[in-house]
Amino acid sequence: MTTANKTVLLTGDSPLYAELHQIMTDSGYRVVTLAEGAAEPESIFLAVEVNNLDLTAKQEQLSELDRMLSPSVPILTTSLAITATEAASWTESPERICGFGTLVPLAERALFEVAPALQTESDVLEVVQSFFHSLGKEVEIVEDEVGLVFPRILTLIINEAAFTVMEKAATPEDIDTAMKKGTNYPYGPLEWADRIGLDEIYAISRGLHRDLSEERYRTAPLLRKLVLAKRYGVRSGIGFYSYREAGGGEG
Amino acid sequence: MERKTVGVIGAGTMGAGIALVCARREHGVLLLDANQTVLEKAKSYLISILSKDVEKGKISEQQKQETLERVQFVSDIEKLAPTDIVIEAVPERLDLKKSIFGDLTRICRSDALLLTNTSSISITEIAGGLTHPERILGFHFFNPAPVMPLIEVIRGKKSSEENVQAAYQFAVDLGKVPVLVTDTPGFIVNRVARPYYNEALRILGDNVANVEQIDRIMKQAGGFKMGPFELQDMIGIDINFATTQSVYTDFFHEGRFKPSRIQQRMVQSGSLGRKTGDGFYDYSK
Repeated sequence: MTTANKTVLLTGDSPLYAELHQIMTDSGYRVVTLAEGAAEPESIFLAVEVNNLDLTAKQEQLSELDRMLSPSVPILTTSLAITATEAASWTESPERICGFGTLVPLAERALFEVAPALQTESDVLEVVQSFFHSLGKEVEIVEDEVGLVFPRILTLIINEAAFTVMEKAATPEDIDTAMKKGTNYPYGPLEWADRIGLDEIYAISRGLHRDLSEERYRTAPLLRKLVLAKRYGVRSGIGFYSYREAGGGEG
Repeated sequence: MERKTVGVIGAGTMGAGIALVCARREHGVLLLDANQTVLEKAKSYLISILSKDVEKGKISEQQKQETLERVQFVSDIEKLAPTDIVIEAVPERLDLKKSIFGDLTRICRSDALLLTNTSSISITEIAGGLTHPERILGFHFFNPAPVMPLIEVIRGKKSSEENVQAAYQFAVDLGKVPVLVTDTPGFIVNRVARPYYNEALRILGDNVANVEQIDRIMKQAGGFKMGPFELQDMIGIDINFATTQSVYTDFFHEGRFKPSRIQQRMVQSGSLGRKTGDGFYDYSK
Protein backbone atom coordinates (compact mmCIF):
# COMPACT_ATOMS: atom_id res chain seq x y z
CA MET A 1 0.00 0.00 0.00
CA THR A 2 1.37 3.39 -0.93
CA THR A 3 1.26 5.87 1.92
CA ALA A 4 2.15 8.95 -0.12
CA ASN A 5 -0.06 11.92 0.73
CA LYS A 6 -2.48 9.82 2.69
CA THR A 7 -3.89 11.71 5.64
CA VAL A 8 -4.58 10.00 8.97
CA LEU A 9 -6.51 11.70 11.74
CA LEU A 10 -5.06 10.84 15.17
CA THR A 11 -6.81 11.83 18.39
CA GLY A 12 -6.76 10.88 22.08
CA ASP A 13 -4.71 11.25 25.26
CA SER A 14 -3.17 7.77 25.57
CA PRO A 15 0.63 7.58 25.85
CA LEU A 16 0.31 5.79 22.50
CA TYR A 17 -0.49 9.13 20.79
CA ALA A 18 3.05 10.50 20.47
CA GLU A 19 4.60 7.23 19.33
CA LEU A 20 1.83 6.44 16.84
CA HIS A 21 2.23 9.97 15.46
CA GLN A 22 5.93 9.31 15.04
CA ILE A 23 5.70 5.93 13.30
CA MET A 24 2.91 7.13 10.99
CA THR A 25 4.91 10.21 10.00
CA ASP A 26 8.02 8.05 9.52
CA SER A 27 5.98 5.76 7.24
CA GLY A 28 5.00 8.69 5.02
CA TYR A 29 1.53 9.56 6.31
CA ARG A 30 0.36 13.09 6.88
CA VAL A 31 -1.06 13.12 10.42
CA VAL A 32 -3.67 15.66 11.53
CA THR A 33 -5.49 16.40 14.78
CA LEU A 34 -9.24 16.27 15.32
CA ALA A 35 -9.53 20.06 14.90
CA GLU A 36 -7.38 20.06 11.76
CA GLY A 37 -9.30 17.14 10.32
CA ALA A 38 -12.62 18.88 10.93
CA ALA A 39 -11.54 21.57 8.44
CA GLU A 40 -10.84 19.00 5.70
CA PRO A 41 -12.83 15.83 6.49
CA GLU A 42 -12.85 14.70 2.84
CA SER A 43 -9.02 14.32 2.87
CA ILE A 44 -9.00 11.79 5.72
CA PHE A 45 -8.38 8.19 4.65
CA LEU A 46 -8.46 6.67 8.14
CA ALA A 47 -8.94 7.87 11.74
CA VAL A 48 -7.29 6.52 14.89
CA GLU A 49 -8.77 7.27 18.30
CA VAL A 50 -6.66 6.45 21.40
CA ASN A 51 -8.42 7.44 24.65
CA ASN A 52 -8.34 4.86 27.42
CA LEU A 53 -8.49 6.49 30.85
CA ASP A 54 -11.19 9.07 30.04
CA LEU A 55 -14.09 7.14 28.51
CA THR A 56 -16.30 10.23 28.29
CA ALA A 57 -13.71 11.84 26.03
CA LYS A 58 -13.50 8.58 24.10
CA GLN A 59 -17.23 8.58 23.43
CA GLU A 60 -17.31 12.29 22.53
CA GLN A 61 -14.40 12.04 20.11
CA LEU A 62 -15.71 8.85 18.46
CA SER A 63 -19.14 10.49 18.02
CA GLU A 64 -17.51 13.55 16.52
CA LEU A 65 -15.43 11.45 14.11
CA ASP A 66 -18.54 9.48 13.20
CA ARG A 67 -20.49 12.69 12.38
CA MET A 68 -17.63 14.33 10.56
CA LEU A 69 -16.24 11.52 8.38
CA SER A 70 -17.99 9.79 5.51
CA PRO A 71 -19.24 6.30 6.57
CA SER A 72 -16.69 4.77 4.21
CA VAL A 73 -13.74 6.02 6.33
CA PRO A 74 -12.55 3.37 8.80
CA ILE A 75 -12.12 4.43 12.43
CA LEU A 76 -9.64 2.53 14.57
CA THR A 77 -10.23 2.70 18.31
CA THR A 78 -8.12 1.31 21.15
CA SER A 79 -10.02 -1.55 22.76
CA LEU A 80 -7.89 -1.49 25.89
CA ALA A 81 -10.43 -0.16 28.40
CA ILE A 82 -13.69 -1.11 26.65
CA THR A 83 -14.57 -3.48 23.84
CA ALA A 84 -14.60 -2.28 20.24
CA THR A 85 -18.17 -3.52 20.11
CA GLU A 86 -19.20 -1.06 22.83
CA ALA A 87 -17.29 1.78 21.16
CA ALA A 88 -18.99 0.94 17.86
CA SER A 89 -22.39 1.00 19.57
CA TRP A 90 -21.87 4.71 20.28
CA THR A 91 -21.78 5.54 16.56
CA GLU A 92 -24.23 5.78 13.67
CA SER A 93 -21.92 3.79 11.36
CA PRO A 94 -20.62 1.02 13.63
CA GLU A 95 -19.52 -1.15 10.70
CA ARG A 96 -16.48 1.10 10.11
CA ILE A 97 -15.23 0.91 13.72
CA CYS A 98 -12.42 -1.57 14.47
CA GLY A 99 -10.53 -2.18 17.73
CA PHE A 100 -6.79 -2.52 18.21
CA GLY A 101 -4.39 -2.50 21.09
CA THR A 102 -0.73 -2.22 21.91
CA LEU A 103 1.43 -0.55 24.53
CA VAL A 104 4.40 1.82 24.31
CA PRO A 105 7.26 1.68 23.46
CA LEU A 106 6.16 0.75 19.94
CA ALA A 107 9.73 0.13 18.78
CA GLU A 108 9.57 -3.07 20.86
CA ARG A 109 6.29 -4.27 19.31
CA ALA A 110 6.84 -6.29 16.15
CA LEU A 111 3.16 -7.19 16.22
CA PHE A 112 -0.09 -5.28 16.86
CA GLU A 113 -3.31 -6.95 17.92
CA VAL A 114 -6.48 -6.06 16.03
CA ALA A 115 -9.95 -6.89 17.37
CA PRO A 116 -12.86 -6.27 15.05
CA ALA A 117 -16.13 -5.31 16.77
CA LEU A 118 -19.10 -7.60 16.17
CA GLN A 119 -20.32 -4.85 13.83
CA THR A 120 -17.07 -4.39 11.84
CA GLU A 121 -17.33 -5.11 8.11
CA SER A 122 -14.69 -7.34 6.52
CA ASP A 123 -13.43 -4.74 4.02
CA VAL A 124 -12.75 -2.36 6.93
CA LEU A 125 -10.68 -5.08 8.57
CA GLU A 126 -8.65 -5.44 5.37
CA VAL A 127 -7.88 -1.71 5.26
CA VAL A 128 -6.86 -1.83 8.92
CA GLN A 129 -4.52 -4.76 8.35
CA SER A 130 -2.78 -3.19 5.39
CA PHE A 131 -2.51 0.09 7.33
CA PHE A 132 -0.60 -1.63 10.16
CA HIS A 133 1.51 -3.56 7.66
CA SER A 134 2.45 -0.22 6.09
CA LEU A 135 3.73 0.86 9.53
CA GLY A 136 6.01 -2.18 9.52
CA LYS A 137 3.95 -4.14 12.06
CA GLU A 138 2.61 -7.67 11.88
CA VAL A 139 -1.05 -8.14 12.75
CA GLU A 140 -2.76 -10.79 14.84
CA ILE A 141 -6.55 -10.73 14.70
CA VAL A 142 -8.21 -11.70 17.98
CA GLU A 143 -11.77 -11.68 19.29
CA ASP A 144 -13.05 -8.47 20.82
CA GLU A 145 -12.50 -8.44 24.58
CA VAL A 146 -11.18 -5.66 26.84
CA GLY A 147 -7.38 -5.43 26.79
CA LEU A 148 -6.97 -7.99 23.94
CA VAL A 149 -4.17 -10.47 24.80
CA PHE A 150 -0.77 -8.94 25.60
CA PRO A 151 -2.05 -5.76 27.32
CA ARG A 152 -4.49 -7.86 29.38
CA ILE A 153 -1.98 -10.45 30.56
CA LEU A 154 0.70 -7.86 31.33
CA THR A 155 -1.81 -5.69 33.21
CA LEU A 156 -2.70 -8.61 35.47
CA ILE A 157 0.99 -9.29 36.16
CA ILE A 158 1.60 -5.62 36.99
CA ASN A 159 -1.53 -5.52 39.15
CA GLU A 160 -0.29 -8.53 41.14
CA ALA A 161 3.11 -6.86 41.58
CA ALA A 162 1.27 -3.73 42.79
CA PHE A 163 -0.62 -5.79 45.40
CA THR A 164 2.73 -7.23 46.52
CA VAL A 165 4.21 -3.71 46.94
CA MET A 166 1.07 -2.46 48.69
CA GLU A 167 1.30 -5.31 51.21
CA LYS A 168 5.01 -4.53 51.71
CA ALA A 169 5.73 -8.20 51.06
CA ALA A 170 8.73 -7.07 48.95
CA THR A 171 10.19 -3.84 47.55
CA PRO A 172 9.59 -2.77 43.93
CA GLU A 173 13.31 -3.33 43.21
CA ASP A 174 13.23 -6.88 44.58
CA ILE A 175 10.02 -7.72 42.70
CA ASP A 176 11.53 -6.51 39.42
CA THR A 177 14.80 -8.36 40.07
CA ALA A 178 12.95 -11.56 40.97
CA MET A 179 10.90 -11.59 37.77
CA LYS A 180 13.91 -10.90 35.56
CA LYS A 181 16.32 -13.32 37.25
CA GLY A 182 13.90 -16.03 38.39
CA THR A 183 11.72 -16.31 35.31
CA ASN A 184 13.43 -14.44 32.44
CA TYR A 185 10.96 -11.56 32.00
CA PRO A 186 12.27 -8.91 29.58
CA TYR A 187 11.61 -6.23 32.23
CA GLY A 188 10.51 -6.21 35.82
CA PRO A 189 6.74 -5.62 35.93
CA LEU A 190 6.96 -2.36 37.88
CA GLU A 191 9.70 -0.69 35.81
CA TRP A 192 7.74 -1.89 32.77
CA ALA A 193 4.53 -0.31 34.11
CA ASP A 194 6.35 2.97 34.70
CA ARG A 195 7.49 3.02 31.06
CA ILE A 196 4.05 2.14 29.66
CA GLY A 197 2.23 4.60 31.91
CA LEU A 198 0.28 3.61 35.00
CA ASP A 199 -2.77 5.47 33.61
CA GLU A 200 -2.84 3.05 30.69
CA ILE A 201 -2.46 -0.03 32.92
CA TYR A 202 -5.14 1.25 35.31
CA ALA A 203 -7.53 1.92 32.41
CA ILE A 204 -7.15 -1.71 31.27
CA SER A 205 -7.53 -3.12 34.79
CA ARG A 206 -10.61 -1.01 35.49
CA GLY A 207 -12.09 -1.96 32.10
CA LEU A 208 -11.63 -5.69 32.73
CA HIS A 209 -13.19 -5.37 36.17
CA ARG A 210 -16.09 -3.33 34.80
CA ASP A 211 -16.85 -5.63 31.87
CA LEU A 212 -16.15 -9.04 33.39
CA SER A 213 -17.35 -8.15 36.92
CA GLU A 214 -15.09 -10.55 38.78
CA GLU A 215 -12.92 -10.23 41.87
CA ARG A 216 -10.15 -11.68 39.65
CA TYR A 217 -9.82 -8.30 37.92
CA ARG A 218 -9.90 -6.11 41.05
CA THR A 219 -7.42 -3.25 40.67
CA ALA A 220 -4.74 -3.02 43.37
CA PRO A 221 -5.67 0.05 45.46
CA LEU A 222 -2.06 1.27 45.23
CA LEU A 223 -2.21 1.32 41.42
CA ARG A 224 -5.45 3.32 41.48
CA LYS A 225 -4.05 5.83 44.01
CA LEU A 226 -0.84 6.37 42.04
CA VAL A 227 -2.97 7.23 38.98
CA LEU A 228 -5.24 9.55 40.96
CA ALA A 229 -2.09 11.31 42.23
CA LYS A 230 -0.97 11.61 38.58
CA ARG A 231 2.11 9.48 39.25
CA TYR A 232 1.99 7.88 35.81
CA GLY A 233 5.60 6.67 35.73
CA VAL A 234 8.58 7.79 33.68
CA ARG A 235 6.76 10.52 31.77
CA SER A 236 5.52 12.26 34.94
CA GLY A 237 8.80 11.76 36.82
CA ILE A 238 7.36 9.39 39.40
CA GLY A 239 5.40 6.14 39.47
CA PHE A 240 6.46 3.00 41.31
CA TYR A 241 9.94 4.55 41.14
CA SER A 242 11.10 8.17 41.16
CA TYR A 243 12.85 9.48 38.04
CA ARG A 244 13.67 12.89 39.40
CA GLU A 245 17.24 14.02 40.12
CA ALA A 246 19.77 11.23 39.65
CA GLY A 247 17.07 8.65 38.94
CA GLY A 248 16.40 5.32 40.61
CA GLY A 249 15.11 5.17 44.16
CA GLU A 250 11.79 3.89 45.37
CA GLY A 251 8.68 5.90 44.62
CA MET B 1 34.13 -14.37 52.52
CA GLU B 2 33.97 -16.80 55.39
CA ARG B 3 34.14 -20.50 54.56
CA LYS B 4 31.30 -22.31 56.22
CA THR B 5 30.21 -25.85 56.83
CA VAL B 6 26.92 -26.30 55.04
CA GLY B 7 24.56 -29.22 55.40
CA VAL B 8 22.35 -29.94 52.39
CA ILE B 9 19.42 -32.28 52.99
CA GLY B 10 18.05 -34.23 50.05
CA ALA B 11 20.42 -35.27 47.25
CA GLY B 12 17.95 -35.13 44.36
CA THR B 13 18.43 -32.74 41.43
CA MET B 14 17.87 -29.65 43.57
CA GLY B 15 19.93 -30.78 46.57
CA ALA B 16 22.86 -31.94 44.42
CA GLY B 17 22.74 -28.65 42.51
CA ILE B 18 22.79 -26.67 45.75
CA ALA B 19 25.71 -28.78 47.05
CA LEU B 20 27.61 -27.94 43.85
CA VAL B 21 26.89 -24.21 44.22
CA CYS B 22 28.22 -24.29 47.82
CA ALA B 23 31.29 -26.42 47.05
CA ARG B 24 32.30 -24.22 44.12
CA ARG B 25 32.34 -21.26 46.53
CA GLU B 26 34.70 -23.20 48.81
CA HIS B 27 32.23 -24.04 51.55
CA GLY B 28 32.50 -27.47 53.14
CA VAL B 29 29.37 -29.49 52.32
CA LEU B 30 27.66 -32.39 54.03
CA LEU B 31 25.17 -33.75 51.52
CA LEU B 32 22.60 -35.87 53.31
CA ASP B 33 20.19 -38.43 51.92
CA ALA B 34 18.79 -41.56 53.55
CA ASN B 35 18.87 -43.31 50.17
CA GLN B 36 22.36 -44.55 49.22
CA THR B 37 21.48 -44.86 45.52
CA VAL B 38 20.39 -41.21 45.41
CA LEU B 39 23.65 -40.20 47.09
CA GLU B 40 25.68 -42.12 44.52
CA LYS B 41 23.76 -40.53 41.67
CA ALA B 42 24.44 -37.10 43.20
CA LYS B 43 28.15 -37.93 43.36
CA SER B 44 28.21 -38.94 39.68
CA TYR B 45 26.35 -35.73 38.84
CA LEU B 46 28.96 -33.58 40.65
CA ILE B 47 31.82 -35.45 38.97
CA SER B 48 30.26 -35.08 35.53
CA ILE B 49 29.58 -31.34 35.89
CA LEU B 50 33.05 -30.63 37.29
CA SER B 51 34.69 -32.78 34.60
CA LYS B 52 32.92 -30.67 31.97
CA ASP B 53 34.26 -27.56 33.71
CA VAL B 54 37.77 -29.03 33.33
CA GLU B 55 37.17 -29.87 29.64
CA LYS B 56 35.97 -26.34 29.00
CA GLY B 57 39.07 -25.01 30.73
CA LYS B 58 37.04 -23.28 33.44
CA ILE B 59 38.88 -25.07 36.24
CA SER B 60 41.96 -27.26 36.59
CA GLU B 61 41.92 -30.99 37.40
CA GLN B 62 43.27 -30.07 40.83
CA GLN B 63 40.45 -27.59 41.42
CA LYS B 64 37.98 -30.27 40.43
CA GLN B 65 39.46 -32.68 42.99
CA GLU B 66 39.48 -30.00 45.70
CA THR B 67 35.85 -29.12 45.00
CA LEU B 68 34.84 -32.79 45.18
CA GLU B 69 36.79 -33.28 48.39
CA ARG B 70 34.79 -30.50 49.99
CA VAL B 71 31.62 -32.58 49.66
CA GLN B 72 30.96 -35.42 52.10
CA PHE B 73 28.07 -37.76 51.35
CA VAL B 74 26.26 -38.77 54.53
CA SER B 75 23.11 -40.70 55.38
CA ASP B 76 22.75 -39.97 59.10
CA ILE B 77 21.22 -36.61 60.03
CA GLU B 78 23.22 -36.59 63.33
CA LYS B 79 26.31 -35.89 61.18
CA LEU B 80 24.96 -32.37 60.61
CA ALA B 81 25.76 -31.37 64.22
CA PRO B 82 28.82 -29.24 63.31
CA THR B 83 27.18 -27.28 60.47
CA ASP B 84 26.91 -23.47 60.42
CA ILE B 85 24.12 -23.50 57.87
CA VAL B 86 21.68 -26.19 56.75
CA ILE B 87 19.73 -26.00 53.49
CA GLU B 88 16.87 -28.47 53.37
CA ALA B 89 15.81 -29.47 49.84
CA VAL B 90 13.51 -32.46 50.26
CA PRO B 91 10.19 -32.89 48.38
CA GLU B 92 7.48 -30.29 49.08
CA ARG B 93 5.66 -32.05 51.93
CA LEU B 94 4.94 -30.16 55.11
CA ASP B 95 5.06 -33.25 57.37
CA LEU B 96 8.45 -34.25 55.96
CA LYS B 97 9.90 -30.77 56.32
CA LYS B 98 8.49 -30.29 59.83
CA SER B 99 9.98 -33.56 61.00
CA ILE B 100 13.41 -32.66 59.54
CA PHE B 101 13.41 -29.23 61.18
CA GLY B 102 12.36 -30.89 64.46
CA ASP B 103 15.50 -33.05 64.21
CA LEU B 104 17.69 -30.12 63.17
CA THR B 105 16.67 -27.95 66.11
CA ARG B 106 17.77 -30.80 68.39
CA ILE B 107 20.99 -31.69 66.52
CA CYS B 108 22.40 -28.33 65.35
CA ARG B 109 23.87 -25.47 67.35
CA SER B 110 21.24 -22.95 68.44
CA ASP B 111 22.92 -20.28 66.28
CA ALA B 112 23.04 -22.41 63.12
CA LEU B 113 21.05 -20.92 60.26
CA LEU B 114 18.34 -23.37 59.15
CA LEU B 115 17.10 -22.76 55.62
CA THR B 116 14.33 -24.47 53.70
CA ASN B 117 14.27 -24.53 49.92
CA THR B 118 10.57 -24.31 49.19
CA SER B 119 8.44 -22.73 46.51
CA SER B 120 5.10 -23.17 48.20
CA ILE B 121 5.20 -24.06 51.90
CA SER B 122 4.85 -21.42 54.61
CA ILE B 123 8.13 -20.86 56.48
CA THR B 124 6.13 -19.78 59.52
CA GLU B 125 4.30 -23.11 59.53
CA ILE B 126 7.54 -25.11 59.25
CA ALA B 127 9.07 -23.14 62.15
CA GLY B 128 5.91 -23.09 64.26
CA GLY B 129 6.36 -24.73 67.67
CA LEU B 130 10.09 -25.37 67.23
CA THR B 131 12.80 -23.98 69.50
CA HIS B 132 14.69 -20.97 68.14
CA PRO B 133 12.32 -20.27 65.23
CA GLU B 134 14.24 -17.01 64.68
CA ARG B 135 16.91 -18.93 62.73
CA ILE B 136 14.52 -20.71 60.38
CA LEU B 137 14.09 -19.00 57.00
CA GLY B 138 13.10 -19.76 53.43
CA PHE B 139 15.87 -19.91 50.83
CA HIS B 140 14.27 -20.57 47.47
CA PHE B 141 16.58 -21.58 44.62
CA PHE B 142 15.32 -21.75 41.03
CA ASN B 143 15.84 -24.79 38.83
CA PRO B 144 18.57 -25.60 37.78
CA ALA B 145 20.25 -24.24 40.92
CA PRO B 146 23.80 -24.00 39.49
CA VAL B 147 22.51 -21.87 36.57
CA MET B 148 19.64 -19.69 37.80
CA PRO B 149 20.92 -16.61 39.65
CA LEU B 150 17.92 -15.83 41.85
CA ILE B 151 17.38 -16.80 45.48
CA GLU B 152 14.24 -15.69 47.32
CA VAL B 153 15.16 -15.17 50.98
CA ILE B 154 11.89 -15.63 52.84
CA ARG B 155 11.25 -14.03 56.21
CA GLY B 156 9.03 -16.19 58.42
CA LYS B 157 6.86 -14.59 61.09
CA LYS B 158 9.51 -15.30 63.75
CA SER B 159 12.70 -15.05 61.65
CA SER B 160 15.07 -12.49 63.19
CA GLU B 161 16.38 -9.53 61.23
CA GLU B 162 19.95 -10.62 62.03
CA ASN B 163 19.37 -14.04 60.50
CA VAL B 164 17.60 -12.57 57.47
CA GLN B 165 20.70 -10.44 56.85
CA ALA B 166 22.99 -13.46 57.38
CA ALA B 167 21.01 -15.54 54.86
CA TYR B 168 21.02 -12.64 52.40
CA GLN B 169 24.81 -12.29 52.71
CA PHE B 170 25.25 -16.05 52.35
CA ALA B 171 23.30 -15.90 49.04
CA VAL B 172 25.59 -13.10 47.84
CA ASP B 173 28.64 -15.16 48.88
CA LEU B 174 27.27 -18.03 46.75
CA GLY B 175 27.42 -15.69 43.76
CA LYS B 176 23.63 -15.47 43.60
CA VAL B 177 21.19 -12.55 43.41
CA PRO B 178 19.02 -12.55 46.54
CA VAL B 179 15.69 -10.80 47.02
CA LEU B 180 13.81 -10.43 50.31
CA VAL B 181 10.17 -11.38 50.70
CA THR B 182 7.86 -11.92 53.64
CA ASP B 183 6.17 -15.27 54.10
CA THR B 184 3.28 -14.83 51.64
CA PRO B 185 1.80 -17.47 49.27
CA GLY B 186 4.01 -18.06 46.21
CA PHE B 187 6.54 -15.53 47.59
CA ILE B 188 7.42 -13.20 44.69
CA VAL B 189 7.99 -15.22 41.50
CA ASN B 190 5.32 -17.89 41.82
CA ARG B 191 2.78 -15.26 42.83
CA VAL B 192 3.48 -12.46 40.33
CA ALA B 193 3.95 -14.95 37.46
CA ARG B 194 0.56 -16.64 38.02
CA PRO B 195 -1.37 -14.42 35.57
CA TYR B 196 1.09 -15.22 32.78
CA TYR B 197 -0.33 -18.75 32.72
CA ASN B 198 -3.71 -18.27 34.32
CA GLU B 199 -4.90 -15.32 32.27
CA ALA B 200 -3.60 -16.93 29.07
CA LEU B 201 -5.74 -19.96 29.95
CA ARG B 202 -8.73 -17.72 30.63
CA ILE B 203 -8.27 -15.93 27.29
CA LEU B 204 -8.09 -19.34 25.62
CA GLY B 205 -11.20 -20.55 27.45
CA ASP B 206 -13.15 -17.44 26.45
CA ASN B 207 -12.06 -17.97 22.82
CA VAL B 208 -10.43 -14.56 22.50
CA ALA B 209 -7.43 -16.22 20.84
CA ASN B 210 -6.03 -19.74 20.39
CA VAL B 211 -2.90 -21.34 21.87
CA GLU B 212 -0.59 -20.54 18.93
CA GLN B 213 -1.87 -16.96 18.68
CA ILE B 214 -1.42 -16.26 22.39
CA ASP B 215 2.13 -17.64 22.36
CA ARG B 216 2.97 -15.63 19.23
CA ILE B 217 1.49 -12.42 20.66
CA MET B 218 3.31 -12.73 23.99
CA LYS B 219 6.63 -13.24 22.19
CA GLN B 220 6.30 -10.80 19.30
CA ALA B 221 4.17 -8.11 20.91
CA GLY B 222 5.34 -8.66 24.49
CA GLY B 223 8.99 -9.58 24.12
CA PHE B 224 8.74 -12.67 26.35
CA LYS B 225 11.19 -15.44 25.48
CA MET B 226 8.55 -18.17 25.57
CA GLY B 227 4.77 -18.08 25.26
CA PRO B 228 2.63 -19.16 28.24
CA PHE B 229 1.60 -22.47 26.65
CA GLU B 230 5.06 -23.48 25.43
CA LEU B 231 6.28 -22.67 28.91
CA GLN B 232 3.62 -24.79 30.61
CA ASP B 233 4.55 -27.69 28.32
CA MET B 234 8.19 -27.27 29.35
CA ILE B 235 7.55 -26.89 33.10
CA GLY B 236 4.97 -29.69 33.16
CA ILE B 237 1.28 -28.80 33.13
CA ASP B 238 0.74 -30.81 36.35
CA ILE B 239 3.49 -28.88 38.15
CA ASN B 240 2.11 -25.55 36.94
CA PHE B 241 -1.43 -26.52 37.96
CA ALA B 242 -0.25 -27.64 41.41
CA THR B 243 1.53 -24.31 41.97
CA THR B 244 -1.60 -22.37 41.02
CA GLN B 245 -3.77 -24.52 43.26
CA SER B 246 -1.37 -24.04 46.17
CA VAL B 247 -1.27 -20.24 45.79
CA TYR B 248 -5.08 -20.15 45.36
CA THR B 249 -5.64 -22.25 48.48
CA ASP B 250 -3.15 -20.27 50.56
CA PHE B 251 -4.77 -16.96 49.54
CA PHE B 252 -8.08 -18.39 50.80
CA HIS B 253 -9.53 -18.62 47.30
CA GLU B 254 -8.84 -15.06 46.23
CA GLY B 255 -10.37 -14.79 42.75
CA ARG B 256 -7.17 -13.51 41.17
CA PHE B 257 -5.59 -16.95 41.51
CA LYS B 258 -8.53 -19.16 40.56
CA PRO B 259 -7.19 -22.19 38.64
CA SER B 260 -8.31 -23.06 35.13
CA ARG B 261 -10.58 -25.97 34.24
CA ILE B 262 -8.82 -26.29 30.89
CA GLN B 263 -5.55 -26.89 32.71
CA GLN B 264 -7.22 -29.31 35.13
CA ARG B 265 -8.60 -31.38 32.25
CA MET B 266 -5.13 -31.52 30.66
CA VAL B 267 -3.73 -32.91 33.92
CA GLN B 268 -6.60 -35.38 34.32
CA SER B 269 -6.11 -36.66 30.77
CA GLY B 270 -2.40 -37.22 31.34
CA SER B 271 -1.32 -34.62 28.77
CA LEU B 272 1.36 -33.01 30.89
CA GLY B 273 3.56 -31.36 28.27
CA ARG B 274 6.92 -32.34 26.83
CA LYS B 275 7.52 -35.08 29.37
CA THR B 276 4.49 -37.06 28.12
CA GLY B 277 4.95 -36.10 24.47
CA ASP B 278 1.75 -34.08 24.39
CA GLY B 279 0.46 -30.98 26.06
CA PHE B 280 -0.76 -27.79 24.44
CA TYR B 281 1.45 -28.85 21.53
CA ASP B 282 2.19 -32.29 20.10
CA TYR B 283 5.77 -33.50 20.65
CA SER B 284 5.32 -37.04 19.39
CA LYS B 285 6.64 -36.36 15.87
